[in-house]
Amino acid sequence: MKILIIEDEKELVGVMQTALEKENYLVESASDFHSALDKIVGYEYDCILLDLMLPGGDGLDLLSEIKKLKKKDAVIIISARDAVDDKVLGLDLGADDYLAKPFHLAELNARVKSAIRRRKQHGEQHITWRNILVDPENRTVRVDRQELALNRKEFDLLYYFVTNPERLITKTSIAEYVWGDHTDQADSLDFVYSQIKNLRKKLGNAGADADIQAVYGVGYKMI
Amino acid sequence: MTMKKRSLKNYTLRYLVVAILAVIALWAALFYWYIIEEVYDNIDDGLKDSKLRITREIKASPELLETGQYGIAQFRFTPLPGGDYSKKTHIYNSMMYMPYDDDDEPVRVLQSIFKENGQYYQLEIYTSTVEEDELLEDLLTALVVLYLALVGSIILINHFILRKAWTPFYRLLRQLQGYRIGSGQELEKPYGDVREFDELYGELRAMTRRNETIYTQQKQFIANASHELQTPLAIAANKLELIMGEGDLSEDQLVRINDVNQTLHRMKRLNRSLLTLSRIDNRQFQASETVVFNDLVQESLADLQILSSHKNILVSTENNGSFTMEMNRDLAVILLNNLLKNAMVHNPEKGTVNIRISDKELSIYNSGETPLDPQKIFRRFYKDEQNPNSTGLGLAIVQSIVSLYPPLSVSYRFDRGHCFLLHK
Repeated sequence: MKILIIEDEKELVGVMQTALEKENYLVESASDFHSALDKIVGYEYDCILLDLMLPGGDGLDLLSEIKKLKKKDAVIIISARDAVDDKVLGLDLGADDYLAKPFHLAELNARVKSAIRRRKQHGEQHITWRNILVDPENRTVRVDRQELALNRKEFDLLYYFVTNPERLITKTSIAEYVWGDHTDQADSLDFVYSQIKNLRKKLGNAGADADIQAVYGVGYKMI
Repeated sequence: MTMKKRSLKNYTLRYLVVAILAVIALWAALFYWYIIEEVYDNIDDGLKDSKLRITREIKASPELLETGQYGIAQFRFTPLPGGDYSKKTHIYNSMMYMPYDDDDEPVRVLQSIFKENGQYYQLEIYTSTVEEDELLEDLLTALVVLYLALVGSIILINHFILRKAWTPFYRLLRQLQGYRIGSGQELEKPYGDVREFDELYGELRAMTRRNETIYTQQKQFIANASHELQTPLAIAANKLELIMGEGDLSEDQLVRINDVNQTLHRMKRLNRSLLTLSRIDNRQFQASETVVFNDLVQESLADLQILSSHKNILVSTENNGSFTMEMNRDLAVILLNNLLKNAMVHNPEKGTVNIRISDKELSIYNSGETPLDPQKIFRRFYKDEQNPNSTGLGLAIVQSIVSLYPPLSVSYRFDRGHCFLLHK
């Protein structure tokens, strides 16, 4: 699967590329408005990561171009502007998602996977990890075809793990992904622990062939 | 000691009224003295002339010397006993009975002594003169009238002329009273013929423009600085995440890298809060709708449920009315979230949070032991020492939002717990 990163900051392109290549994506990049436009017109991508502030033009104009060309590429806006108006405008123009800088790489992974999955009309709508099957559309989980009841937060947590399997996800990243902005307090990391404990218990009871391991108190990894 | 301040118009008037009184009094004294001198001078000339005529007349008709009493002639002779007399002429004021109005009237009397046929005679000639007290009285009446007329006309002139002349000044003053920095409003040029006010306007306009520019630049600087920090922060944090994911690190290295990563994320939150603040101050949250705070409180509490249940906090809500505001929904959410989150975080284990909502007020109460300083808590970067992770911007954001929507206000008091009150 091919991903295009449109971003003028070389260093950031570098880390994003490394992270995405680990997930076996084919990654290309463009660092200004015109080279980005050339690539968009010339090739097909599964997902385009689009920075809004680009040399040579506004990223939102690129988005309009993509939509004018009736391209099927999923578009995720990645912006430092983080303004509500940009977000609303971007989504109105047809972007699939909006990710404010700075973000966690695990979150980037999760968002890219979601966006690509939503774009695929006839493909696999589920995400599977061993005997766990997650259906993001209906927010249901099956272990060995048996439905597993999870609450909203537990589902989000599991979804984050299955989109980043066998990867270390830090507690900060988990807290921000699942509980959003309310987690900027010292004790927030404690309830990540209790929530994970609950999820592990439920997965274990359902006979899931997966375990969430704590990594030195830094974060967790699903293996 | 504070002086009672007066309006400019009355300021000059106060001095003018006193000054005119003094000037008129001095002028009256001089005028009176001068007139009296002139009158006496005239009368005396007449008396001296009479004396000359009479002494001449005596040569022709010596029987005149027999006039011992004032009669029609208004003079009399009094033979003096033998001796030597000075022949000096005296003129003096005296009173004399006048039958016509049955009273003593002031007269001017010329008294002269001369020798006729070896006999000394005293000649007295009188003539009616001004009644000084009546003159004074008349003069005083005239002066009072003059004074009142002067003061009256000065007040009128002052009132109309000064009001006209100072109109541009008062207009400028009113504009300055309504002036808020950052509002971008330009001062209007006041019309008038006074050059100084044109200059004042020119200087004020230059000053406000300068201030607006500086203010905008500062706001822009904060916004830009925060924006520009986002990308380097992303690069640094993401690189650390990549390293952490590589798997060939020792526990100690991993924990230390994670510490750095967490610090970076603290910086990220701080930066986001600053951006939010600058966006609020730049009025970038424009859209407005009717927001029912009762509903938002429930949504916010649901979001914060993880925090409250983690600390075993007992949350209760009393809806005694509907608190609604015409405002930006996102800002209302931020406002309530910050206040409610505060109530959860600065709460002991198994504490309580009580929210009371009425039509006019929304109060958020939470348990706590030590009162906070109501003067300082809404300031930017005022920090609670017990919580090093707090950005110190949460309540500053609350304050900024509230000040966008008068008459909405927020206050804090301590009453066996912390209480934040939203009032409209």
